[in-house]
Amino acid sequence: MHAATPDRPISRRALVASVAAGAAAVALPAVLRAQAPAVKIGVIHCVTGPLAEPGQACRVGAQMAADAINAAGGIKSLGGAKLDLLLGDTQSKPEVARPEAERLANAGAQLFMGTFSSGDTAAIVPVAQQRRIPFLVDISAADPITANVAKAVRDGQQKVQYVYRNFPTSAMFGRRAVQLMGEIFKEAGVSPKRVVLMYANDLFGQTQARSFQTAHKAANPAWDIVEVIPWPEPPADLSTEVSKLKAAKPDIIAPVTRPASALLLLPEIARQRVECMGIIGPGSPGLYEARQIAQLKDQLEFVMDNVPWPNFKNPKTREVAGEYQRRTNGKTFDTNSVFSYDGMLLLADVLERAGKAGLKLDRFDPDLVVEEIRKTRWSGNLATSAGPVVFNETGDNPNASTAMIQILGQKPVVVWPAEAAVEKVVLPRPKR
Amino acid sequence: MDLTLVAQGLLNGLLGGGVYSLMAVGLTLIFGVMRVVNVAHGDMMVWGMYLAWLLATRLSVDPYLGFVVCAAALFVLGWLVQRGLVDRVVEAPHETQILLMLGVGLVLENLALMVFGPDPQRVRSPLAQATLWLGPVFVDLARLVTFGLALGLTLALYLFLTRTGLGRAMRATADNAYGALVVGTDVRRVYAAAFGIGAACVGAAGALVSPILPFQPSGGLAASVTSFNIVIIGGMGSFGGAFVGGLLVSVAESLGAIFLAPAMKELVSFSLLIAILLFRPAGLFGRRA
Amino acid sequence: MPRRGWIVLVGLAVLIALPALLGSYLVTVFILVFFYGYLGQAWNILAGYGGQLSAGHAAFLGVGAYTATLLAMHAGLSPWLGMFAGAGAAGLLGALIGALAFRFGVRGFYFVLLTVGFAEVCRIVALNTDAVGGALGLYITFTGDPRQLQFRDNRAYYYVALGLMVLATAVTGLVERSRLGTYLRALREDEDAAEALGVDTFRVKLLAIVLSAALTGLGGAFYANYLFSLQPNAVFGIPLSVDIIIRPVVGGAGTIWGPLLGSLILSPLAELSRTYFASGGLAGTHLVVYGFLLIAVVLLLPRGAYPELVRLWGRMTAKGR
Repeated sequence: MHAATPDRPISRRALVASVAAGAAAVALPAVLRAQAPAVKIGVIHCVTGPLAEPGQACRVGAQMAADAINAAGGIKSLGGAKLDLLLGDTQSKPEVARPEAERLANAGAQLFMGTFSSGDTAAIVPVAQQRRIPFLVDISAADPITANVAKAVRDGQQKVQYVYRNFPTSAMFGRRAVQLMGEIFKEAGVSPKRVVLMYANDLFGQTQARSFQTAHKAANPAWDIVEVIPWPEPPADLSTEVSKLKAAKPDIIAPVTRPASALLLLPEIARQRVECMGIIGPGSPGLYEARQIAQLKDQLEFVMDNVPWPNFKNPKTREVAGEYQRRTNGKTFDTNSVFSYDGMLLLADVLERAGKAGLKLDRFDPDLVVEEIRKTRWSGNLATSAGPVVFNETGDNPNASTAMIQILGQKPVVVWPAEAAVEKVVLPRPKR
Repeated sequence: MDLTLVAQGLLNGLLGGGVYSLMAVGLTLIFGVMRVVNVAHGDMMVWGMYLAWLLATRLSVDPYLGFVVCAAALFVLGWLVQRGLVDRVVEAPHETQILLMLGVGLVLENLALMVFGPDPQRVRSPLAQATLWLGPVFVDLARLVTFGLALGLTLALYLFLTRTGLGRAMRATADNAYGALVVGTDVRRVYAAAFGIGAACVGAAGALVSPILPFQPSGGLAASVTSFNIVIIGGMGSFGGAFVGGLLVSVAESLGAIFLAPAMKELVSFSLLIAILLFRPAGLFGRRA
Repeated sequence: MPRRGWIVLVGLAVLIALPALLGSYLVTVFILVFFYGYLGQAWNILAGYGGQLSAGHAAFLGVGAYTATLLAMHAGLSPWLGMFAGAGAAGLLGALIGALAFRFGVRGFYFVLLTVGFAEVCRIVALNTDAVGGALGLYITFTGDPRQLQFRDNRAYYYVALGLMVLATAVTGLVERSRLGTYLRALREDEDAAEALGVDTFRVKLLAIVLSAALTGLGGAFYANYLFSLQPNAVFGIPLSVDIIIRPVVGGAGTIWGPLLGSLILSPLAELSRTYFASGGLAGTHLVVYGFLLIAVVLLLPRGAYPELVRLWGRMTAKGR
């Protein structure tokens, strides 16, 4: 018998064998899936981690849309094929996002939708391109995601672009914010001069703040951004930032928040008695969700936000919103959920047209699907938009747009542009 | 130079220090007695906040009263974690202990996510918006009350450690575990009590801070990092240190937010941390190891 | 060749042959196994062998990644070369941290926090510096061009990751056998005694941290061209540093096979818990499961998988006599 030595790696073979067995177990779920005609869609969002709240909203939106489509008979041109959602969680980490995408691709995903977080989305792009899986980005703020793929195709490094985004780009957010603010000032008959920009110093906040400033410089309106105050996200204390805000004597406060920072910012503004004509967000979460309103109550009243929003003038939207509220125990149908919902409806439309153009389930041709995506001209979306959903050369939807909502009577309603407005804008906000 | 702004910043910083030191006190006790690094500290605090929220929303108990219940619940958790898990790795290398607590933290964070959902919450308390105006500057009464409670808690812990039998046993074990064992101290019981009390402090801190700070399941990491900063700067194992450390970090951050680019506010506390670690690792009040 | 050498060669041959047998998803899992194994091995040199626990190793990876990527973006430098620049930059950072820390005698848990502090400073600086992309970060175009360390086939990434793992293990093996290794082990056991015996502990520790940092930074280019984006919070963040340490700790810090073993245990565990628990019901379930598994692994193998396995083997073979 050989004497054992401390550095003999005995179980290498056993280890490899057990890992292989484990790997086989992992591959098993794919085999056990239902055999009815279906299109498998990998739906990947950051449902755990710091971005869990919006990630979960997206997932529910996608699931609801898929259920509705399946209940109405599925994709008719593909023989009534149902949408089979394969769910993935990125844990808000790019290094998890990529294997998740691979896992779902392995389980047969023919399309991808996701992810909300730009870093996670970027990690999935190569998988989509490598495996030729059309990837609809329902929400992600970083413009380079689609732009890079388009550039690679133009430069000949990639043959086909598989990544498309149905969400306003950050440049669009900034332009719309400045434009809508100008129009609202005119409508309300006020002429504020001093605007203070405050923002959460994370990916979304920084991007929004920059695009707001860029758009402001380009438009050169009568009002100035007199002070810019970022804070680390999530913040523990905003009293000093709000003291600075007060010292800047703002006419309008323009905050880019996240739900956690909004819970700190608005009470602090109220407490320090910062007087202003109004609070208008250039576009951020935290200022309209049902739970935020429940917590902040009248501190949120009259606050405006420039966001992509469901078009409540459409009765279908109201119906879906009601169902969403029931399904999530009281949450509002808002930006994140509507874009994921629309994303799924959009994919269904693309599949219908692809089926008519000759797509077969057993010989799924992604390039045919991509062709149909590029030809999209679809008006069935529930979000407010400047026109039908189309895709430009970068793969973005230039008609994806925003509306200005205001919290009136403790509910978020669209107040501008006039065609989508449900109520009249209130500016300046009444003194307390 | 806007003097009002500076004065306000200073005041905000001082009051905020109370909140910070409350967060740090439990951590310093656990490390001081057991030399165990509780990396699940922040996640335990988040649970304290959620328990306070439950009490406030379901039983209408104000967190300024309910914190006692949170402390008790976290005490039990701490005791169980120590007895059931940490005890088994007391002899193991440091990295193993850290890894264990990481696992505990992961479980706590995601249990909170499963049970309470991902939305940020804040506990409503009538005290939360109460403000006292002294001319152009204001005093946040909720933070003032928390400051007072932090002081009281630190004092209470100090008395506990110096006047009670268990407390003295803890200090003895902290100084010399082997020696304490030799004279008959039930070291395992001391450790469990220390961990339990440390967790209770964290639970109380969470409850008292819940009307002031919005919280969500993933908030544990930031709370842990801040607490470790404070404890190092103040001195591991020293309550006075945790208190002063909390004040220092808070004031530095506040003044930093005024004079530096505001997003660099976080840089201030880390720069302080690095400076302390290099030049005075025992911290301002710690004993030289 | 000694028996051990044969076993290593056979193992390597198996790993080289594996992609031919596995599907794309499993290849991806192994890519991560090797990459984290490689990162853990680099960490192992400083922390396992040298006993200087670092919880800020993500900073070295981040610096390496950003350096290589910025050079690729602005100077058109291929990441194959850029990775060495990244290693150099990371090594410099390591030298800075080491020089400061060891000159001032920062040890034990204080050293852990110092590394965390430096990593956080890197993160905050990157977050607020527009020239490196700020919070938005850097987005790398997917071209699939091998000259840019990008591949259309996952198998190629697999071999690069395997190569990094083999390199790190080889370096660790060399260190283990060298004078540096002896000194490191000595000062891990008792630094003051080693100093008293004439070991220049400052120089030894500095060498270890620079080597560890540079080796970590080398992988930055791979990271950037595998995940296609660099954000300060992800690439400098504490969660990534934690992910780097848990594998060697589970596998056995201070042993040459520890990091790989730990990675082979944990990555499949993470994947399995996500596969079975992440798809339905409440979000977060799979992480609770993973957390419990982690606790179980730590309790079962407090000194790490490799030392425990060796002990077990010793007992089994002893019985046979």
